[in-house]
Amino acid sequence: MSFLNVTLQLLNGFVQNAIVFGVTLLFAIPLGLLIAKGSMSKIAPIKAITRTFVWIIRGTPLMLQIFVVFYVPPLMARMFGVPFFGFDRAFKAMLAACIAFVINYAAYFSEIYRSGIESIPRGQYEAGAVLGMTKSQIFFKVVLMQVIKRILPPMSNEIITLVKDTSLARVISIPEILKIAENYSLEGLIWPLFYTGAFFLLFSGGLTLLFNFIEKKLSYYKI
Amino acid sequence: MPLLEVENIRKSFGGTQVLTDIGFSLNKGEVLAIIGSSGSGKTTLLRCLNFLETPDEGRITVNGELLFDGRTRSKKDDLKLREKRLHFGLVFQSFNLFPQYTVFENITLAPKLLAKEEIKANGSYLGADNYKDAVDAIDKKASELLEKVGLVSKADEYPCNLSGGQQQRVAIARALALSPDVLCFDEPTSALDPELTGEVLNVIKSLKSSDSTMIVVTHEIGFANEVADRIIFMDNGLIEEEGPPEQVIGNPQSPRTKEFLSRFNQFGD
Repeated sequence: MSFLNVTLQLLNGFVQNAIVFGVTLLFAIPLGLLIAKGSMSKIAPIKAITRTFVWIIRGTPLMLQIFVVFYVPPLMARMFGVPFFGFDRAFKAMLAACIAFVINYAAYFSEIYRSGIESIPRGQYEAGAVLGMTKSQIFFKVVLMQVIKRILPPMSNEIITLVKDTSLARVISIPEILKIAENYSLEGLIWPLFYTGAFFLLFSGGLTLLFNFIEKKLSYYKI
Repeated sequence: MPLLEVENIRKSFGGTQVLTDIGFSLNKGEVLAIIGSSGSGKTTLLRCLNFLETPDEGRITVNGELLFDGRTRSKKDDLKLREKRLHFGLVFQSFNLFPQYTVFENITLAPKLLAKEEIKANGSYLGADNYKDAVDAIDKKASELLEKVGLVSKADEYPCNLSGGQQQRVAIARALALSPDVLCFDEPTSALDPELTGEVLNVIKSLKSSDSTMIVVTHEIGFANEVADRIIFMDNGLIEEEGPPEQVIGNPQSPRTKEFLSRFNQFGD
């Protein structure tokens, strides 16, 4: 087994990780804002439901959530005698993983957003209000940029954690990088398992540079 | 007809009466100073005028237009509320500049947002019938205001690079950019050290000569004495004494006013 061959196979697996990563960011970032709005809602039932939801998601292992999203819908379908739609298994597994990741990360993001939004002093809202701005103008023109600056460090942290969490997708047999490396080790080839670390390091290293760049871009003002 | 008429304003927070039956009127170009100890309701009164708080009762009239009437409580409509707010400007104790914008952008942000909507709704803003001309007019006005507060050289700085006094002068220019009928100051120098207080008070003084109508809540008794046409002394949510400075400060009648002022005189003003 040549080095190049293993590299290409692992890279193939890492594409699966990258898909989970990309889809999760794409959907969890806006969904988190919606959940954050819910947990700051003045309507008590909405607030209670949202906070309970966040508690459940943050209080159970992501691996368990992946199992639930993957196995429960087909079981339910069988129980009620409804035929479960017929995508191939690989697609179903990827879909389930993405849904579980999006929900899980949206819950974490929502708490970061909430802390960011609540940390903006009331005076900023009031200054906008007395200058005749509407509520949405105050949020988008005054508050949002300050929130982004404040939540950037915790968000970078969470996003780097996501890179590594994607390998959990292997529990429902998605052929991600660690799964592939593990297959090699079962055949007696152990070094590809350690080699996977390089892929994660490279990827999270790139992200770190990106976040540092954005942070520097936003350092022209202080809050 | 007075420019501003405030009648029977009452406000309580959770059972604590903060304002009891406040009423006064103000003519165009007049400066009213409100003095009194902390917790006497001065700030709440200003916040009521700027619709940051809703009074429980009372009426507020500007230029003959009834802006607030406690008896006919209208539902909170964002756009209507804004129209009412634009009659008033407010300079905060803690400046509250927008940190991510330059000094110039702080001054022009709200007028530009407003111009876009005014042109769409009424066809003009500041005499301009399209957005581009309106922006030119707004920028020109912002430059003039910066000159007025003596900060032309700081136009492109961010608030974090300014001293407290400079920030407060920017906040004054920002409030003036919308040409409010009445400009309110909520203890504008309380967050500043004495060295910086003077520059802000001088700016406010210079506005008096340019015919702005102002309400200044302040602890600077000497300043109030010098600049105000009228002084209100508030105590416990009530107007305890009201009149020209020479009367309220020079020859107070109420024992509460005397007591309050004597504490200031102890340290020499």
